Amino acid sequence: MRVTSSSIFDSLIYQINRVSANQQKLENEATTGLAVQNPSDNPGAMRSILDLEAESSSVGQYQANITQLQQQASTASSAMQSLQTILSQASTLATEADGTKTQSELNDYATQVTQLIQEAAQAVNTQFNGNYLFGGTLNTQAAPYVVNQDSSGNVTSVTYKGNTSVPSVEIAAGVTMSVLPVGENTTGSGPSGLITDSRTGADLFNHLISLQNDLLSGNTTAISGTDLGNLQKDSDNITQQIATNGAVQQRMTAEANIASAQSASLSSLTSSQADADLATVMTQLTQTQTAYQAAVQATVGFQDLQMSILSFLQ
Amino acid sequence: MSLGLLQALSISSRAMDTQQAGIAVTGNNLANVNNPNYSRQVLQISTSISVPTNIGMEGTGVQATGVEQIVSQALNSQIQAENSTSSYWQTLQQALQFAQSDLGQQVTSVSSGSSDSSQGIASSLSDFFNELQNFSADPTSLSERQVLIGKASTLASQFNQVSSQLSSLTSQLNDQLQTDVTNANQLLSDIASLNNQIYTEKINTNSAPNDLMDLREEKLEDLSKLVNFTASQEANGSVDISIGGVQMVSGYNVTDTMSVYNAGGGQMLVKATTAGTQLTPTSGSIAGEIDARDGPVATLNTNLNTLANQLITAVNGVHDGGYGLNGTSKAQFFTGFDASDIAVNTALVDDPSLIQASGTKGVTGDNTVALAMAQLANQLNPGLNNQTFSQSYDNTVATLGQSLSSANSEVTDQDTVQQMLTQQRTSISGVSLVEEMGNLSAYQNAYEASAHLLSAVDEMLKELVSVLT
Repeated sequence: MRVTSSSIFDSLIYQINRVSANQQKLENEATTGLAVQNPSDNPGAMRSILDLEAESSSVGQYQANITQLQQQASTASSAMQSLQTILSQASTLATEADGTKTQSELNDYATQVTQLIQEAAQAVNTQFNGNYLFGGTLNTQAAPYVVNQDSSGNVTSVTYKGNTSVPSVEIAAGVTMSVLPVGENTTGSGPSGLITDSRTGADLFNHLISLQNDLLSGNTTAISGTDLGNLQKDSDNITQQIATNGAVQQRMTAEANIASAQSASLSSLTSSQADADLATVMTQLTQTQTAYQAAVQATVGFQDLQMSILSFLQ
Repeated sequence: MSLGLLQALSISSRAMDTQQAGIAVTGNNLANVNNPNYSRQVLQISTSISVPTNIGMEGTGVQATGVEQIVSQALNSQIQAENSTSSYWQTLQQALQFAQSDLGQQVTSVSSGSSDSSQGIASSLSDFFNELQNFSADPTSLSERQVLIGKASTLASQFNQVSSQLSSLTSQLNDQLQTDVTNANQLLSDIASLNNQIYTEKINTNSAPNDLMDLREEKLEDLSKLVNFTASQEANGSVDISIGGVQMVSGYNVTDTMSVYNAGGGQMLVKATTAGTQLTPTSGSIAGEIDARDGPVATLNTNLNTLANQLITAVNGVHDGGYGLNGTSKAQFFTGFDASDIAVNTALVDDPSLIQASGTKGVTGDNTVALAMAQLANQLNPGLNNQTFSQSYDNTVATLGQSLSSANSEVTDQDTVQQMLTQQRTSISGVSLVEEMGNLSAYQNAYEASAHLLSAVDEMLKELVSVLT
């Protein structure tokens, strides 16, 4: 094959361009640490990366949802604990209010019970993130329980303003969960009622109000005959709620662990697709640098060769 | 009788003329050593007619018979064909690079093992659905509603932006198509007029007009970058050209030209102006522009439009059954039809309390509708080949990436082919400095020798004359 001056330079330039393009790609990988940056770099990997990122982002969201439910559940739990304390105090008062007490002592007890009703109302009107927890979904911005009092300060009734449905939140793809009871459910189905539930016979406020009224009227027979038993039903109901809440919190912890394991494995999958193999990249980079230098040197060498031919012919 | 001294004198002068011509040809070659379109020329020499004498045929020296151009026609037509292919893929590559950057979907950083493509529709889509989750966990919060509007607007405007960039890419390609067609027509008329000049020169000088032929080859190669054509070499030295079966140049006449026309719906295609037939070039930048526009770019646009349309329909479908904080209903969440005009309903932007999260009128804490909207993220949509929204988008990105990736490797392959053909051509037609320098010495020495002969004969003649007088 005839070799001409321009063909040598052309092919040298072509080689240098190829080496430079390769070098640029490798330098890019080395500096960003990414094997895939643009869709065209590796369409298949890009697709997986985007899919994995979308999945990882929703798992991240599920983790946030779970955290929120955990916080909600633990707030609910402390409200339930207070209600339990209130109930045991009320039971103590009811037990002490036997026939040996004077009416004025009973009146004192009644005042204390009124106080307990107020406290219970406060506990059940607990808020989380500005929303009332135990009013169902009707209106989370308004307190679900309203205490009505007569002129002498005795509680006449406590009314429930909520409904009987609870909001649920997604904790994994297609899995929704709700961690809250409603305040009152007398329908016999659906979420359990924390204060009033026809299925367990719990009716905390009305039971406390009758205790208060029985104390005021000195009806100690009714107190020991009915009220104490009713309070026990309420207490059982709350205990059951606390147990459910505990179970829910455990499940949340388990779900959180699953989600975080999922997130970790998604991250490592993404990185296996996207990350550049730095050791290989750096080695290749050194190789291309050597190739580049060789090509440039060849150019200079050829020039010398031509010069020498010209000087030889002179 | 043998030939005399005067004959020897004429041999030497003719030899000097010939060597001189050789030096001129070599000089011309050397001067064009870096001209890529130049084909090296060689002086053709032959012995001049011998004269019969009593001692036999006696030579009369040398004569130059012509200057020949060293070209391989076959190689040239192959180069033209490969030019078309290269230029096709380069055009496609360039258009798809634009499309890819318009889409703006990159993997930006992998920090501590988790990558995060902070831009692009992919993350906006995730952000939107994630925010719906947050919103479903707190449906009465005005701030969550506000954030949701923000995320939804970002998503919508990203769709709008990509869509408008793609439509400007399309019109850019149409402009390029128009320019290329204009240039191709100019080249056709240049080639026709060169045909004419070459023919005339051949008749007038009875020799091949090498430089004009180089120039015509250059024009043919320029044309091949725009569109693939069939060239046929005619006996009179003309090159006839037809594109897509339509004769464009015949001898020195331009018999037809190309023109861009609207094939309906703004789809710009190419036809033969006079013949009226549609031309469907298969390579060259004209074909590249049409194929990029109607192929991957159009697919990308359609995919994004379908995605946006399905998103609007699905989100609105769920949202429609809900109630706002004040019991309002039947408001659209997204307005618009596709990627170009998707937007968040301005009424909701002005008053986020109108977002319909609740499934029951007046029950503001209810989140069933918000939750159902959030759960659309994992829903398989029949309109999107049973993929989720983000899967469909990811697929769209990968499809474009695949097209660009194959264009990239085609361009690289073509580079190699071109390089090989160019090498072959320069090995045949290129000027070699070494060779020319050698020729130069040879001509120079021969010239010197002939000059010696001339001076020797001259001496002898002088001698003769002085004896005679």
